[in-house]
Amino acid sequence: MSTATAHSRIEALGLCLPATVQTTPQLAALVPGLGDVDIEKITGITERRVYDPEPDAGEDSFGMALAAARDALRSSRYEAADLDIVISASITRFKDGSRFTFEPSFAAMLAGELGARSAIHFDVSNACAGMMTGVWLLDRMIRSGAVRRGLVVSGEQATRVAQTAAREMTDSYDPQFASLSVGDSAAAVVLDVSVDAADRIHYIELMTCSEYSHLCMGMPSDRTPGISLYTDNKKMHNRDRLKLWPRFHEDFLAKRGRTFAAEEFDHIIQHQVGTRFIDYANQTAEAEFGTPMPDSLSVVERYGNTATTSHFLTLCEHLRAGDARPGATYLLVPAASGVVTGALSATLTNVGV
Amino acid sequence: MGMIITAAATALPDRSAPASVVDLAGRAARGALARAQVPASSIGTLINVGVYREHNTFEPAMAALVQKEVGINLDYIADPEPAAGFSFDLMNGACGVLNAVQVGQALLDTGSTERLLITAADVHPGGDARDDVDYPYADLAGALLLERSADPDAGFGPVRHYTADRPTDVEGYLDTATMGRQGRTAITVRRESDHAERLAEFAARAAADYAREFDIDLDRTLVIGPATTADGVGAQGEPHTAAPVLGYLTATDGVRHDDHDHDHDQFLFVSVGAGPSAACALYRPEGR
Repeated sequence: MSTATAHSRIEALGLCLPATVQTTPQLAALVPGLGDVDIEKITGITERRVYDPEPDAGEDSFGMALAAARDALRSSRYEAADLDIVISASITRFKDGSRFTFEPSFAAMLAGELGARSAIHFDVSNACAGMMTGVWLLDRMIRSGAVRRGLVVSGEQATRVAQTAAREMTDSYDPQFASLSVGDSAAAVVLDVSVDAADRIHYIELMTCSEYSHLCMGMPSDRTPGISLYTDNKKMHNRDRLKLWPRFHEDFLAKRGRTFAAEEFDHIIQHQVGTRFIDYANQTAEAEFGTPMPDSLSVVERYGNTATTSHFLTLCEHLRAGDARPGATYLLVPAASGVVTGALSATLTNVGV
Repeated sequence: MGMIITAAATALPDRSAPASVVDLAGRAARGALARAQVPASSIGTLINVGVYREHNTFEPAMAALVQKEVGINLDYIADPEPAAGFSFDLMNGACGVLNAVQVGQALLDTGSTERLLITAADVHPGGDARDDVDYPYADLAGALLLERSADPDAGFGPVRHYTADRPTDVEGYLDTATMGRQGRTAITVRRESDHAERLAEFAARAAADYAREFDIDLDRTLVIGPATTADGVGAQGEPHTAAPVLGYLTATDGVRHDDHDHDHDQFLFVSVGAGPSAACALYRPEGR
């Protein structure tokens, strides 16, 4: 086994958020089939950002990803030409307005636009765990010595599924209900070699419990022109699914002679599905680990479920707020269709934001 | 440490039902596992590198659906032993397999997995590539099972990527502005009229650069290039992301049966496609 590099670290973060805010009452007004169902009460989401459909606004998935990547590089010690690898993780792969792109890879086109001409490039697709999967791969490639530094980026025009849901939904039990919780955004993260425990990804471990891979499917609608997301919320987020992460994480720690409490995380960032989901996930984990959860960071109230970008959007907003303690330790927990879950543990001190 | 191909397999649709990535990749994967005589539960990581898929599905990863089809570590709570499985899609057009080989080397190097399964499956979203004259690819899947070799000289060498300094010749997309209600069955693959010549030239240049960088003796090297047809396995159309798997199986079969090839003790994988992107990797079988 190679031991060329023991650890990676988060070096810089970047974001792109559309300026347009859509409140939940404004969204509800577009969903006549839903009657007086209180979307805000169910999801805890007050508002979300929505892309500008004008092509010149550059707010398709690709344009937002490019803006987030440039934002991250502005805060990074590296320039695009320094990157050894660019990984793109968008689920909604819209470019040139309305083209849902399959090839070339977004990563190839982003690397070209950024000027990362010699970078390895590929896309990963792993539902809402896409950026986390990209970070997992980049961490392994840095640790193996294959690359020294790289960029993971994602841009999501997620509200396109909300538009379809608004047209087609007839009640709150509709499998498209979850589509009303999404928001548009892009995020980017630069990783490089960690030489200081004060800036370090201690571990990132992911798993897919594919028994439940059919519970959330995204594809074009066959009823109206648009893309759709069909989710069995009840089964997807039931208590057994929520136990997957604590059991997996606890076993991982136990193999190293450690416990969750001994990790002394300062903050936890759950996938930003909705406020009730985050509370329920933390309550389930408290029962499973037998210890209180750390301070739970959340931006879902303002931005909705931003899919792949959720954790890094939340982290970047937290760091930009300026009240983060240097040397604080963060736990990021994905929860994605597949079903994918896991844990990323990192200490952050000097992250460019 | 070398990373070797333990087994490889391909799968074609039987046409009794619409072609499906989940079905084809699942069958190719099971074929590779059967040849290697290893259980599905021993697969730590599954990477699917296919680009085109049934219904233009974009969530979840097709790899998760393939993982379920193959029966790899389905539910960690119900069955946490021997270990959790992890799967995801990696997409980079025709270069996907070599990208997966490269990340696979990092996963084996860091002890993140003991066995890696790569599936490369493409189907027309409508279920039959033969029904769309403008779609160039075959409904076809390939699978590679990769693991460590005790032989330090065996397995894949470094993977190198090459980018041409010009716009892409090839694009594949769903135009949601014009798809109407046909989004689950429509797909556009647009290629410049002379793309084949330019990509072939690019592939040849990449292979030459790779051979020069690593001082490869081409006289003892069989090049597994970007095949233009999959006729040899009974598929109509180009093999697309499965081309390296198909090429590897054809090459190993040829080396076994053709006395003229007895001097070829290593392979050079060469992929080229949309981007334009090319990738090369040397492969040395065990015991050569």
